[in-house]
Amino acid sequence: MSNTAVTSDQVSANTLGKFKKKINKSDLFWGYLFILPGIIGLSVFVIYPLVYSAYIALTKWDGVTDPKFIGFQNFQYMFTKDPVFWPSIKATVLYVVLSVPATLALGLLLAVLLNQHLPGIKIFRTILYLPTILPAVATLTLWKFIYQPNYGLANAVLSFFHLPTSKWLTGEDTALISIIIIGLWGVGGTMIVFLAGLQAVPKEVYEAARIDGANAVRLFWNVTIPMISPILFLQLITQMIGALQAFSQAQILTQGGPNNATNFLMYNIYAKGFGNLGSFPDLGYATAQVWILFFLIMAVTALTFRFSNFWVYNETSAD
Amino acid sequence: MAVSYNTGAAAPANRQPIKWDKVGWFALLIVLAIVMILPLFWVITTALKSNNDIYKTPPDFFPNEFHFENFWNGFQAINFGRLFLNTMIITVLSVIGGVVSSMIIGYALARIKFPGRKIWFFLFIGSMMFPSIVTLIPLFRLYLSINWYDTWLPLIVPAWLGNPFFIFLARQFYLTIPYDLDESAKLDGAGHFTILTRIMAPITKPVWITMAIMAFQGSWNDYLNPLVYLQSAEKWTLSIGMATFSSTFAGVANTQWNLYMAANLLYMLPPLIFFFLAQRYFVQGLGSLGNISQK
Repeated sequence: MSNTAVTSDQVSANTLGKFKKKINKSDLFWGYLFILPGIIGLSVFVIYPLVYSAYIALTKWDGVTDPKFIGFQNFQYMFTKDPVFWPSIKATVLYVVLSVPATLALGLLLAVLLNQHLPGIKIFRTILYLPTILPAVATLTLWKFIYQPNYGLANAVLSFFHLPTSKWLTGEDTALISIIIIGLWGVGGTMIVFLAGLQAVPKEVYEAARIDGANAVRLFWNVTIPMISPILFLQLITQMIGALQAFSQAQILTQGGPNNATNFLMYNIYAKGFGNLGSFPDLGYATAQVWILFFLIMAVTALTFRFSNFWVYNETSAD
Repeated sequence: MAVSYNTGAAAPANRQPIKWDKVGWFALLIVLAIVMILPLFWVITTALKSNNDIYKTPPDFFPNEFHFENFWNGFQAINFGRLFLNTMIITVLSVIGGVVSSMIIGYALARIKFPGRKIWFFLFIGSMMFPSIVTLIPLFRLYLSINWYDTWLPLIVPAWLGNPFFIFLARQFYLTIPYDLDESAKLDGAGHFTILTRIMAPITKPVWITMAIMAFQGSWNDYLNPLVYLQSAEKWTLSIGMATFSSTFAGVANTQWNLYMAANLLYMLPPLIFFFLAQRYFVQGLGSLGNISQK
């Protein structure tokens, strides 16, 4: 990264030369022996599926008989005729746009709170992290019960504070928000990573800023945020990738409803490919949708990387 | 690079005036903690209620009478013992595989100098970006063709081929260990295998225990893969059993949510216990993530 003075050709020539001199046959053997499982994993779980699904997307395939090549008909149907494709894109994008910033903000807030040298911090850290340890199926079914309009806890709490009750998962306007709230309950994972980042910020940096007269707010925006921006960036990317693939919520709580409000793309793919009872599996069409999801993920990741220079602080560029 | 894992040892606060901003923060923290713990409290309350009390509007905050037999009835209603055993076998084998393979791969990438290691590192890390869904349908076909469908193998074998995130975690941690250690061991005639198992394994304990916690959760909590690959009910995992239980058994009118929550509590326990046993290593193991900006 910092070799700006030398051209890349020279660099590679140099490193090649160095390697030629220093290649140690035993290191070469052990190195590749040790990473061999990873190489196999990469080939079988990334490269092969990638290549094969490119073909499957152009076929009609029920999973039993052989795939039948049909060109771009899957995509044609998807963009022009499928009544649930666009609603499911809308639900997925809305979910990402609403849940990721909320999770990052709450996670960072909690991490900053836990980093304040308050009493009982270990207990709080454990309590806040607890929900993320629990199985998704356990927490989702728990929330399904909490959200029951008649005898659930959620409406009981609302009426306790004299607030209007809600239809939660069964309301077209409220289902998505209800799912986002469940996601926020699991903010502990984000929090713990931010906390690790905050604790790695050298104390001297804060001291220096304080001596220069920075107050708490400025410390946060001008020291904390830049110092943890690499972690923030990584969290942003992984959470967007994760949110784009939301699945269990729809499968367990809403079956994509009401009126496609929570018909996340990933759930739609599952329903098309592996079929809920009664429907006919079409793995070819499902794979075509997988590619749309894949391109969405790549686009979001690439855009985030593209704009990261503006706000991600890079230690190596400083010197 | 050494990071201090100072988790809020009380500063010398005596004789200082009360800091009201800290009191405010503390109050906010308490409120948030209560909100977070409330749903868990609800599991326990519901699990102990009688059949009639679960339908009260508004619901009782505490059970009127304690029905501990709900645990046994819930246990039987979903064939918990069998599903528990299935899930445990799959999980333990996946955890061992994920930790061992990733620690070995991470070692090679961080501490063995061989041509291509940077490229492989970036390939492994890059593969984290590929959503698992892209692989799901082709892998489904692959497993179908080698007769792994409706077996546990698709849930266990992939773990043994390294987990990209764990590889990353391991490599970052290995990079923080002084290289003099390997050098002196090499002078004593130790090979990479000896260095890895005798010297590195004890030092890297925080990171592999962190991995074990994460792998345990990942496998125990996995829902999509068992859903796709397991057909016969006697091979199901708890996640499938609980999800089915909630939609069929608990979906109809006269839902026995009390039995369900009792079983749900039992389902939550193993990851909780495992987490609390290994917790003290967790923050330390993730500490190497704080060095993310280092190469």
